[in-house]
Amino acid sequence: MEETLIEEGETNKDIEVAPALIAVHPTQKSIAVAVGSDLRVFDFQGASAVSLVDDTSGPFHRDSIRAIRYSADGNLFVSAGDDKVVKIWFTESWCCICTVPSEKRVSAVALSNDSLYVCFADKFGVVWVVDLDGFDGNQMLANKKAAPLLAHYCSIITSLEFSPDGRFVISADRDFKIRVTVLPKKPLDGAHEIQNYPQGFLVSGSGDSTVRLWDISSGSLLDTCEVGAKAELLESNGKEEECNLAVTDLCTFPDDKLLEKLQGSVSVEEKVFLAAAEAVKTSMSNLLVKKQYSTEKREFRKRARNDRKIKQ
Amino acid sequence: MLENEANPTLSKSTGLPRKRFYRARAHSNPLSDSHFPVPTSPCHVDFSLHYPHFCSSSDQIDSSKKIQFADIGCGFGGLLISLSTLFPDTLMIGMELRDKVTEYVKERILALRVANPGQYQNISVVRTNSMKYIPNYFEKGQLSKMFFLFPDPHFKEKNHRRRVISTHLLDEYAYALGVGGIIYTITDVEELGDWMKACLESHPMFEALTEEELEADPVVKLLSSATEESQKVARNGGQTFQAVYRRVMLAT
Repeated sequence: MEETLIEEGETNKDIEVAPALIAVHPTQKSIAVAVGSDLRVFDFQGASAVSLVDDTSGPFHRDSIRAIRYSADGNLFVSAGDDKVVKIWFTESWCCICTVPSEKRVSAVALSNDSLYVCFADKFGVVWVVDLDGFDGNQMLANKKAAPLLAHYCSIITSLEFSPDGRFVISADRDFKIRVTVLPKKPLDGAHEIQNYPQGFLVSGSGDSTVRLWDISSGSLLDTCEVGAKAELLESNGKEEECNLAVTDLCTFPDDKLLEKLQGSVSVEEKVFLAAAEAVKTSMSNLLVKKQYSTEKREFRKRARNDRKIKQ
Repeated sequence: MLENEANPTLSKSTGLPRKRFYRARAHSNPLSDSHFPVPTSPCHVDFSLHYPHFCSSSDQIDSSKKIQFADIGCGFGGLLISLSTLFPDTLMIGMELRDKVTEYVKERILALRVANPGQYQNISVVRTNSMKYIPNYFEKGQLSKMFFLFPDPHFKEKNHRRRVISTHLLDEYAYALGVGGIIYTITDVEELGDWMKACLESHPMFEALTEEELEADPVVKLLSSATEESQKVARNGGQTFQAVYRRVMLAT
């Protein structure tokens, strides 16, 4: 339930700004929007903006937010991004119950359907898991540490998903790979058994402007939809794609009313759409392209590195 | 011999390619983006190009004939060539990231096939980054042996993630290996030997082979004798450290 949208104004800003993210509460109680490092939540029931409470550390996020997501039951909300922290929020009070540090910048988050585990993926291709066992909605969870679950070989993970039956974790990376991993009983010890490279039903969108439907147990391709040809149709359906026709995000929208509330009208003006698409393109390519550091910055980073050889 | 004169890269006496024409760098960055073609999935690999002898004799697409051995980072192909005669009916493939080296192995195999009719038909080589693309070449549980002989040690802590054996990459190797499949590793760097052993030991899907099993396995002896790198180590009187583990079912 997430869609990448870009407001018109953003094209003028610094190219470093992350694409705006939108997440809708599963029962449409609220909607969360993240632009840059700013996270805002609007409560539909009270028809007012929600003020977020974060006592765990510092003032909210310090850098661009790259991933936001509600849990399946809507009780939890997770946000993470370039500031290397994952924040878990309790949606009743909109309190941040837990801030988990990450070694690297975070590119994707997911919550298991029983809301027991939060997974996040970092820029080195490692997927980490945090268990929320024992959380009852009131207390803060202090000092939670993430444990490595699995890893794509040094490849940025673009998308992370739990299968609806809770048996698998699905991760996609920028080397065009989708991996389905069996979620073990004790995820904190790591997930080692790979079920398949695509195998249930899995819908994927990729930069080759196709949307593909996969069968999870066999890994075979069931159907391919050439989005490029259908772009006109999809515009009003809540699927967003770019001028150069790379599929950036998929979303099954519960109803069109919501979109109407957001934008004033369902039909997106073509000019706005093109500007938005251009911005999505820049930010997506920024997200996926390896960061180039200037020479002096590289030297500085080298100095801070731990290259000592451990000899026992 | 006439054609050899036309092709100076082949040795006049043996007909094998000469290494001096395939001089390559010792290392290649496994993290860099790949600019060579990669098959989308195992069924997109055309193995008739690799094993023309096996594909033409049966004529139909025989699914039972799948690649069973993979030599990851095969280098100049010494192990493949020794294994080829030891297991003449098993298809095996070498995977190497360095372009020139792959070219050399390709030529070497072709020359061996010409010099020894009927032999060396079961080996081939591809240029690929096996740390990224193992699942693009092999189906789940397809392999019975995987070899990691004298991999790059990557001493710096920062570069440890480039090592070909790591806890997370072992997940992928466990995926490609069938239950009972064996993973062979050897190195002349003690630190790396310890690292590989520790990774395999802590992985729930691998168990060590017993001394007797190691003794009985003819392949184990090849580890420290067949490859160019192992011969170099032996010449210099260096020590080697090996770790041989079996793929087991994950205990539930």
